[in-house]
Amino acid sequence: MTVEIPVEKWSGKVIEVALGATAEEGGTRTHAVTVGGQTTLPFLHFEGAIPYPPRIAIEISDQRPGDWSPLLLEAWGDVVKDPAAWAKAAEEAGAELILLQLSLTKDGDTPVTVADAQAVTRQVLDATGLPLIVFGPGQVDADNELLVAVAEEASGERLLLGICEEKNYRTIVAAALAHNHLVTARTAMDVNLAKQLNILISDMGLPLNRIVMDPTSAALGYGMEYGYSVMERLRIAALQGDKMTQLPMLVTVGYEAWRQKESKVGVGVPEAWGEWEERAILWETLTTTTLIESGADIVIMRHPEAVRRARVFIDRLMGK
Amino acid sequence: MTTYKVRFLPQDVTVEVPEGTLLGEAARLAGIDVQMPCGGQGRCGRCAVIVKEGNVHRRPTQRLSPDDVAIGLALACQATVVEDVVVSIPPQEKIERKIREGKRAARVELPFPYDSHDQPLRKVAVTLDLPSLHDQTDDWSRLQRELARRYAMRDVEVSLTVLRKLGRVLRDGEWTVTVVLETDAWDRPNGPPRIIDVLPGERLENLWAAAIDIGTTSNVVWLVDLLGGRVMAQAVDYNGQIARGEDVISRIIYASKGDGLQDLQRLVIETLNRLLQQAADERNIPPEEIYKVVVAGNSTMLHLFAAISPEPIRLMPFITTVNQLPTFPAREIGLRVCPEATVDCLPGIASYVGADITAGVISSGMCNMAQELILFVDIGTNGEIVLGDCSWLISCACSAGPAFEGAGVVHGMRATAGAIEEVWVNAETYEATYRVIGGEKPRGICGSGLIGLLADMFITGVMDKSGNINLNLPTKRVRQGEHGPEYVVAWADESATGEDIVITGVDVDNLMRAKAAVYAGFSVLARSVGLTINDVGQVLIGGAFGQYINVEKAIQIGMLPDRPYDRFQFLGNTSVRGAYMALLAREMRHRVTEVGQMMTYLELSADNTFFDEFNAAMFLPHTDLDQFPSMKEFLEGAG
Repeated sequence: MTVEIPVEKWSGKVIEVALGATAEEGGTRTHAVTVGGQTTLPFLHFEGAIPYPPRIAIEISDQRPGDWSPLLLEAWGDVVKDPAAWAKAAEEAGAELILLQLSLTKDGDTPVTVADAQAVTRQVLDATGLPLIVFGPGQVDADNELLVAVAEEASGERLLLGICEEKNYRTIVAAALAHNHLVTARTAMDVNLAKQLNILISDMGLPLNRIVMDPTSAALGYGMEYGYSVMERLRIAALQGDKMTQLPMLVTVGYEAWRQKESKVGVGVPEAWGEWEERAILWETLTTTTLIESGADIVIMRHPEAVRRARVFIDRLMGK
Repeated sequence: MTTYKVRFLPQDVTVEVPEGTLLGEAARLAGIDVQMPCGGQGRCGRCAVIVKEGNVHRRPTQRLSPDDVAIGLALACQATVVEDVVVSIPPQEKIERKIREGKRAARVELPFPYDSHDQPLRKVAVTLDLPSLHDQTDDWSRLQRELARRYAMRDVEVSLTVLRKLGRVLRDGEWTVTVVLETDAWDRPNGPPRIIDVLPGERLENLWAAAIDIGTTSNVVWLVDLLGGRVMAQAVDYNGQIARGEDVISRIIYASKGDGLQDLQRLVIETLNRLLQQAADERNIPPEEIYKVVVAGNSTMLHLFAAISPEPIRLMPFITTVNQLPTFPAREIGLRVCPEATVDCLPGIASYVGADITAGVISSGMCNMAQELILFVDIGTNGEIVLGDCSWLISCACSAGPAFEGAGVVHGMRATAGAIEEVWVNAETYEATYRVIGGEKPRGICGSGLIGLLADMFITGVMDKSGNINLNLPTKRVRQGEHGPEYVVAWADESATGEDIVITGVDVDNLMRAKAAVYAGFSVLARSVGLTINDVGQVLIGGAFGQYINVEKAIQIGMLPDRPYDRFQFLGNTSVRGAYMALLAREMRHRVTEVGQMMTYLELSADNTFFDEFNAAMFLPHTDLDQFPSMKEFLEGAG
């Protein structure tokens, strides 16, 4: 007896979004990285098209991150003091995209200036040919000030600028419009909120193929399944033809996985938790692979070994 | 126990109270009414008084800044007496006593052909055989004998109240007496007749009764002559309980403290007695000649009316003490009508779908319409929603909050003189023009004005679809205010208060929540029965506030479903009208009960789709624009 595999015919398709501009496109990247384009749920290759694999971005910082786990700092070594060197190391570790995280202050004291932000962006652009994601420090005024300057400095590079939120998106979107960049739109784990922010941003005139949505993720053990379910629902809505959900999704898994006790704390935890470093790497890897299964198009990671493992996972799922 | 003296100015009244007494309580003992719109929870700051001499113990509150405290301000509902003090009460914002000026009560038509025999109240005049030494039958037996002989009435019941006056009435009327009786009442079918009152002589010219609606905000009395069935006088006023809390939750909280329950009952009975007197005066009768009262109101209001603790209504799992109160004589609660008059409170369905809604459904005529899907909405502080075609009915209550009644909005106010009731924003200049009730200088913005303002700010781009005010516009009307971005509706030199009248981002947020709660209620109800809101044939809008809603603007902000305008009908106060109909005919009274039994109640707090629908509705007009086809066309045409 033959088993007939049911095939769902979806009417919708995820929008293709290309990050980074090559010389022909007015930028300096060696190649662009495209995400989206799916006409089926994650990895159901028999059912529809999945033209691009999930992309791994590695997070680097404009200065040695003060709040990172010593395990991460150790894994990267000296490069954490030099964004350009770090970007190169990240590329070697398997990154397809680089996230440059801007800080609020230098050495926890003087504010990072517009000139600082522009300089570090330039250094990273010069150091690697990968498309670049740039996140502001996460404070409204600083985000707006620094990201506008970065957008100007890297005009035409099709950077992915973030993070737009419902209460603060206008300035960042305007900068992206003016200098041919893209934006990420972050909402708090809710299908409707995600749609609303996408509508607000596209209302300003930014085409949908320049928006990536960040539905907010959580780490394994910290509400990951809630985020998973929201991402799954967003993707199903997209495939059902709901236009404002048809954007690729980005998740900051490295940030989420590395702020939890299981990855942060090495001493004074139950023995059953096992060896610290392995546990921490597993935490990031599992968070990443799970959210990839729920439809993540871009995963922003931190540890090179977790990146390596996620890569193996992606390759297998893509049938390589 | 240590006691201290509290002297109140400018009244110059001194009371002596035990240590730890609340200033508000001391004021009450001094006979001074300090308003506590939030129910004495320290949330609203409206009961602030100034401590002139001595000191009080203050509890921390966000309502008073350190500067306020420095000049002696204290919240009467929070501060307690710890030594002798002199307290000055600043002039408080008086509750407007007039509900919308220049609006005469419309004449009420008979809702259906009326026959006085369809209702249980009767008036008969009988002349008794004169007593003599040969016929020493007692007065009561003599009356019974005559009622049996003339009207075949047996086993007639009488109360002590009536017997106490019987002897005098019989003699004053020279043995002709008019008897008011209730026969075959809905709750005592085929039961014996009950005498409600006796009057000397023949007094058959009228038969008075009243229909009452106890709203959280307004109370309404209709005086009805049951001989012809017509409404002969109307009276309306704000519920006196407002001074103890604006919404039902504040009142429930107030009722649960000390003698709060009795205080709230007293306040509503006082209001009703005043209204009954006012209506009776209009017809030149004493209110004691009102022999029956049918009451509608939400469940909390009816509990307070009967002095039954409403506490369980706000606690999980949100149930009332009683949905159908038994009938009782008016004297039991001090209602100033005939002491033995039957008070009949209509049945509610649940804590937040009360008798006002069962009455509303009856009076909306929902059940007389063709097989069409009807949405009945009563918009007040709570939005109650009923969906059905009368072979089935399903209802829910959504807490819209008092934002559209002017509370929780910086310059919000009720629809009285001085309220901006309509606003237009110019799409090019962002200038505002408005219309004020009474044509005077504006003091604030009422619900209809707020809906119009929200719609125009959205349509003209003063704010985005999430309600974020755009500070980048080339106009001085948008600015960064004390509490974030705001839009100036009227400049200080145009206003009656001498202050700019503004709407803030926080106000917009509150209004968005209110409208989203209402619309999410629609969506959840429709979805629960496998329909969409746009399957609705007719939208019936009840509630006093409903009358003033501009449908077009309410659709623009996504508060009402996007149906053609001719599908909307405004019914005014459907609650009092339902009580009136129940008064006129037993059949209607039975139908109210049937509606109550037939209606399914959907508890939104137990429904896991409500949050989703609410979030989807927290957008202008809605996250799913396809639900608003006319707005979609408009917005896409504009873009």
